[in-house]
Amino acid sequence: MATDKELSDFLKSVEKRAWKRAVYAVRDDDAALDIVQDTMIRLSEKYADRPAAELPLLFQRILSNATMDWFRRQKVRNQVVRNFSEFEGAAGRDDDFDILETLEALGGPLQSESAAESVSRAQILQTIEAEVALLPARQREAFLLRYWEELDVAETAASMGCSEGSVKTHCSRAVHALAKALKAKGITT
Amino acid sequence: MKNDSRYKAAAREAAESRFARSVAACLSESAETVAPDVSERLRFAREKSLEIARHSREGALGIGVTASGAAIAGFSQSRWWLRFASVLPLVALVGGLVLIQDWQNRTQISVAAEVDEALLGDDLPINAYRDPGFSEFLKAPPNE
Repeated sequence: MATDKELSDFLKSVEKRAWKRAVYAVRDDDAALDIVQDTMIRLSEKYADRPAAELPLLFQRILSNATMDWFRRQKVRNQVVRNFSEFEGAAGRDDDFDILETLEALGGPLQSESAAESVSRAQILQTIEAEVALLPARQREAFLLRYWEELDVAETAASMGCSEGSVKTHCSRAVHALAKALKAKGITT
Repeated sequence: MKNDSRYKAAAREAAESRFARSVAACLSESAETVAPDVSERLRFAREKSLEIARHSREGALGIGVTASGAAIAGFSQSRWWLRFASVLPLVALVGGLVLIQDWQNRTQISVAAEVDEALLGDDLPINAYRDPGFSEFLKAPPNE
């Protein structure tokens, strides 16, 4: 059973990222705060007796469900479905884009390609966030869980309620879409 | 040839992973600089959750103590007993209604039997009650 301190430390470590994730999904700061609060309360109500090691996966699962509930409440489920179809359709657009070539050409942290002096770090971060927010919902969720929350493929699949193969596909497409979009804006790795 | 394609796939995967982690690092950097009011609301949400977790644990502890008491008294802790206990009042109510109905039936039969017994045991023939003259005689005030 997780102690108060363990639970508090865990929530403190994930709350900001959770809020950002919710913001990327719902694009509304206040609604995202409500979603995170709802997630924390659901976790505390139902899973306070679980060991601390189980909390990250439970939290991510609850956060995804809470976000989905928000969409249901807003009656914009069709919008989500449309995002899903966009992701299906987007697959073909990446065919002529060689990520390996793009990624191998440059290294190190993300930086401005041609106008490094004129574009501030904050603006780069803002652009990256905007591009992440523009990803189709499932791709974004897979990408953030896998690379930001650092869950492995199996955990991400369990959290999203899909197969490991789907997670790999979502992540790969998200990476390609982001690399292409950021390169188009002069930001590369 | 096969090794070459495997190498390319592995390199592609590694490049994707490296890129993804760079993006994730930027997102983490960005997440660290949230507005003070957002931080405050997150702190409030966290504290509220911790309070709820505390109550939830205390509640679980209370149920545990009750269950232990039941075990000492000789009851099993299984859910079977809980289900049985929740159905018990309903069974008692239905049983009580059936008993009341049965008791009322028996009372009515007993009263009817007493009336029949009195009528049949009397010296007066039962057909006399169907005679209009006898009815009038019964209604008339007794003459001294």
